[in-house]
Amino acid sequence: MVAPAILLLLAFFFTPVMLTGVFAFTDMSTSTGIGRGSYVVTPTTLRRLGDRGLGADDAEAISAASYAVDEAGLAAARDAGTDAAFLADIEERLTGETFETARDFELALRDLPSAPRSPRALKSAADLFGQSLVNHRFETRDELAEALAAHAPDVAEEMREALTDDAYTGAVFTTENFTRLATQPETGRLIANTALYVGATLSLFNVGLGLFLALVLFYMPKPVTGLFSTLWLLPRITPVVLYTIMWKWFTWEDGFLPILAEQLGLPAFNYMKGSVVTAWMTMISLNGFIGASFGLILFSGALRAIPLQQLWASEVDGASRLQQIRRVILPQLRWPILFVTSYQTLSLLSSYEHIWLTTNGGPGRTTTVWALEAFKTALSNYSGNLEYGLGAAMALVLVVVGLALSILYLRLFRFGDLVGRPRIEF
Amino acid sequence: MQLHLDNFTKRFDGTAVIENLDLTVNDGEMLALLGPSGCGKSTTLLSIAGIYRADGGRILFGDRDVSNLPSQRRNVGVVFQNYALYPHMSVEENIAFPLTVGKKRPSAEEVTRRVRETAELVHIEELMARKPAQLSGGQQQRVALARAIVRRPDVLLLDEPLANLDAKLRLEMRSEIRRIQLETGITAILVTHDQVEAMSMCDRVAIMNKGEILQIDAPTQMYRAPASRFVAGFLGNPPIVFLDGQTGPAGRFEMAEGLSLPLPSRLAGMPEGQPIALGLRPEHYGAGGGASAAGRVVFVEPQGREMLFDVEAAPGIVLRSIQPVRDDVGIGDRVDWPVDTERLLAFDSEGRTL
Ligand SMILES: Nc1ncnc2c1ncn2[C@@H]1O[C@H](COP(=O)(O)OP(=O)(O)OP(=O)(O)O)[C@@H](O)[C@H]1O
Ligand SMILES: [Mg+2]
Repeated sequence: MVAPAILLLLAFFFTPVMLTGVFAFTDMSTSTGIGRGSYVVTPTTLRRLGDRGLGADDAEAISAASYAVDEAGLAAARDAGTDAAFLADIEERLTGETFETARDFELALRDLPSAPRSPRALKSAADLFGQSLVNHRFETRDELAEALAAHAPDVAEEMREALTDDAYTGAVFTTENFTRLATQPETGRLIANTALYVGATLSLFNVGLGLFLALVLFYMPKPVTGLFSTLWLLPRITPVVLYTIMWKWFTWEDGFLPILAEQLGLPAFNYMKGSVVTAWMTMISLNGFIGASFGLILFSGALRAIPLQQLWASEVDGASRLQQIRRVILPQLRWPILFVTSYQTLSLLSSYEHIWLTTNGGPGRTTTVWALEAFKTALSNYSGNLEYGLGAAMALVLVVVGLALSILYLRLFRFGDLVGRPRIEF
Repeated sequence: MQLHLDNFTKRFDGTAVIENLDLTVNDGEMLALLGPSGCGKSTTLLSIAGIYRADGGRILFGDRDVSNLPSQRRNVGVVFQNYALYPHMSVEENIAFPLTVGKKRPSAEEVTRRVRETAELVHIEELMARKPAQLSGGQQQRVALARAIVRRPDVLLLDEPLANLDAKLRLEMRSEIRRIQLETGITAILVTHDQVEAMSMCDRVAIMNKGEILQIDAPTQMYRAPASRFVAGFLGNPPIVFLDGQTGPAGRFEMAEGLSLPLPSRLAGMPEGQPIALGLRPEHYGAGGGASAAGRVVFVEPQGREMLFDVEAAPGIVLRSIQPVRDDVGIGDRVDWPVDTERLLAFDSEGRTL
């Protein structure tokens, strides 16, 4: 029994978490790819190294092109359609020569008998023989190091090393993601949004509405209650896409709510995307109505478990309905309330699909929560550069927060006590 | 405070459980509502408490008509069979609860004082900090009683308060509840289907059957002079034996099975051939009297101080006798024991006492 359980746990929980954990410490993205990278020095690389002390002269030396008349250059010139006579001259007279600067090479070219007269044609022909490290793709580290040593021997050894490291295009291990999360101002807003989303949905709907409905049903005549509680299950059993589309219909410009509002003389617009406040209200309600049935069912069960005589006793003792609820019923619903709170906190923290399908975090990024941002960063965004590493780091933060909360809730539940001592002694 | 039910009627879904019931409980009196299961005792009690609404008639506390008041405003104390203590509150909080809800609440010191006073009255001072789950059945019972009387209710209602206790505790709580009721002087109704409980605890007993009160009397009076065959059968343990037959010649009673006894002298003038039933209590057989009945002992039940004998006096007719313990009689022995004919009860064919 234990072995399969551990295997399943490994396969479906630890492996994803481990992978997330590993990816979180890389800078893996669409541009690095997920395979092995190669070595390319780009102008960006040089600029970055400039910040780390690469002198302007050295940068110049590395990026400087040299000109060599060799097979590759001749072939490139032939392909580019350079005049055949001119090409023949170059091959005959200059093969094997190299020039340090464009100017030297151009002067040499001009001296050839069939050289074109226009300086522009001369220059473009010269360019074809140019060789530069910049933007050239080297398969291995050694190739780049060799080329650098040959091309810019004056640059300091350690600077060349640093350049080689930086030129790697594949993913590398880094704590950059966490530094970025810890420092960017966006993080603060994401946390605030997430707290607002979880807090409001939980307190207003999952616990608040659930409790309210359970109490109303408890005091209502029995025949009504069955149908009523089934109705509240609908949001949960409706497929997500259908449910969100219904909400779109409900809130768009020509939808039910705005038309109703118009009749009443209230502002009517696309509530889901039209303003920050209505977007939040839409998002919280549509998520809340799904969770309300969960609380409703749990609280209803707990209410029915309270002996009727206790309620009679409280009435005889003089307690009003409200006092009865507050002083006799609610204290006895403490565990179900705590359970719904903890369970729903965890599921709300990690849920983003309804937000993604409706407000999509908008307008702007005002309703973007942590999980949605993680999903977008890593898996779905318009810029096309998916930052797997950063996304994984965000997901890892969620996992850690979730685990911490779970442990806290288990403490609160005194879970050990509950499972530790059997009620029936053997 | 005097409690008065006037033409009280209660229906459930159209079926009348109690119809046109009249009942008066005197100020400071403790009355037992005694009857078989399902006869409407709890229904009556819960209607007095205001948990059920009367469908007809009036309920009066003194001069106050409370028929249409919700239970919150009736000022009654109720002890339920399962105690119905609030499990999340300590004993102290449970007792204080009635003082901390409702319209006029006493000050905090007053609450503490009255809770302590009540706890002392029911002897649970040292349990104040415990939760109900940490109490024994008898202790819970005391807490429930304390909670019911802390507000000095006009009426105290007890619905089978002892049903969940073991025999010894039941005996102890019986006198405790009575002591507390006497000390506080609260008018009280005790619902029970245990006749010993009803007779030992209450000033008067009301016997109920099928939603009707058959007789209200002091326990001894009711035992001695039941108004009907049902009441006679309900009171007494071991129970009375009924003998169905008819009046014969010369003031005698005769049964088809062959048993014949003289009628009590007050009935000697009855005409011959009337169908009647005699009731013979076990203590009136085998302890002296003007006539005798012979038979064979078929069963002996020692009860410690006393012994119960079943004597087959005629085929199918078993008389019961309770006597101080004796070793000289065993199963199968023939006996000829006296019958105290003057103490015989007699009923007509409708079950009315003659
Ligand atoms: N809520 C109810 N709905 C319908 N019928 C009820 C209800 N409560 C009681 N009854 C019926 O009313 C009758 C009297 O019930 P009640 O509870 O008063 O009996 P009781 O004398 O207290 O019996 P017991 O000694 O078993 O407690 C019973 O026949 C019962 O079935
Ligand atoms: Mg009852």
